[in-house]
Amino acid sequence: MNDPLKSNTPPTPEAAPTVSRSTVPIWIIVLTLMLLFLGMVYFDHHGGWFDSQVYGPYASAEELELYQPKSGAAAILARGKAHYDQVCGLCHGADGLGKPGQAPPLAGSEWVEGIQRFASIPLAGVSGQLPVKGQTWSLSMPAMGAAMSDEDLADVLTYIHASWGNQQGPVTADEVKAIRAKLGAHPQPFSGETLKALPK
Amino acid sequence: MSSGFRVFLAALVALGGSWCGFVLAPVSQLGGGKQTVVLNSTELYPVDRPGLANQGLQVYRANGCAACHTEQVQQNGVACDVALTDAGKNPTATTNLISSLKLNNLDKEAADALLDKIAAAGGKAEIHIVATGPDIARGWGRRHSVAEDFLYDDPVQLGSLRIGPDLADVGTRQPDANWQLVHLYAPQSVVKDSAMPPFRYLFRVGKTGSAPSPEALVFPKGYGPPAGYEVVPKPQAQALAAYLMSLHAEVPLHDAPFSQLVAVPKP
Repeated sequence: MNDPLKSNTPPTPEAAPTVSRSTVPIWIIVLTLMLLFLGMVYFDHHGGWFDSQVYGPYASAEELELYQPKSGAAAILARGKAHYDQVCGLCHGADGLGKPGQAPPLAGSEWVEGIQRFASIPLAGVSGQLPVKGQTWSLSMPAMGAAMSDEDLADVLTYIHASWGNQQGPVTADEVKAIRAKLGAHPQPFSGETLKALPK
Repeated sequence: MSSGFRVFLAALVALGGSWCGFVLAPVSQLGGGKQTVVLNSTELYPVDRPGLANQGLQVYRANGCAACHTEQVQQNGVACDVALTDAGKNPTATTNLISSLKLNNLDKEAADALLDKIAAAGGKAEIHIVATGPDIARGWGRRHSVAEDFLYDDPVQLGSLRIGPDLADVGTRQPDANWQLVHLYAPQSVVKDSAMPPFRYLFRVGKTGSAPSPEALVFPKGYGPPAGYEVVPKPQAQALAAYLMSLHAEVPLHDAPFSQLVAVPKP
């Protein structure tokens, strides 16, 4: 063997290394593109698109949404109670008994029955005289529910319907949406008479 | 283009790329962390610890607790349990249907299908979301840890080695200050096979005298100082116990959902 390290003769010009340009083999480009593609597919399935809410066993925001404990009456009532305590409870009381001279009771009130009329009250407000449980109240209730989302308001109304001895059915977000659309933007507050004229 | 400039450009791209991946992306993803709302309520989470517990975090750090304890719960999966809430007008038919079906450890689709089946039989049921995984099975938490859990930790004590149990939820498991202090003073007195070293220098042992300290530890039988002596926690021990009791990473959040069931009082 002619080993250049051991031989004393200088390397022949043919054996010296040379620099020349050569093209990248096409199979390397194809393989790289395929790996890139597979990587993107994997990321799409597992990455959650860098959503800060998506962790661990959940692969995407949609999957996370699927596993939110929404179903069940208990969750609706819990949400409804939370919003009720924050928005309505200050005047109507956490026990639904109202406050003398300020807000009438919701427990056992005839205005709580049904959906159409009941849902209109928080969406438009009430001002003037209103008889509640045999007692006449002079009210000026603002449209407390106008700023709430359909879902939140539906939860609150469902909670009122099912609490303190009231036994009315649930209210859905679609029903609230329909009533809101019917009242239009910035409706006038109801008086006792106009409220009574509404169907239940 | 000289080769020196080329090397500079290549180094810039390599370092800049990894900086974007390791610093920029996480900061833009989680850097603006804020308090969030506990699921199905208006309560905010997390709330800052009281001052003593915040000092306790520094004691935790100073004593190297994170060398043996983690504060991160892992969750490997999520499952749905279906629970009957109303048997309907024909309870026997509904219960017969229920008893023939698998109710636990379902995925969402199967649970929804089951709900429809029960509704068709006239009953009502609801789906409970349950987190699963070895950490959850050990009782170390009810869901995986999320970024919000560490919002008020400075520095965050994640830990990486579990010679002792995970502490993300220890304030819920052991809400008793005396237990925490006794455990720090003599770990084996309350956890028999504990590998934890005692942290006695956080306590002062003295003669009881005529006025016993109200803060003196109450030991289980067979442990503790001889008669006439008492063990009183130093401020660091008080702070550390307050910190440990403030660890409650257990509320359901939007990014870590589970069904919080109202505990049924035992008769």
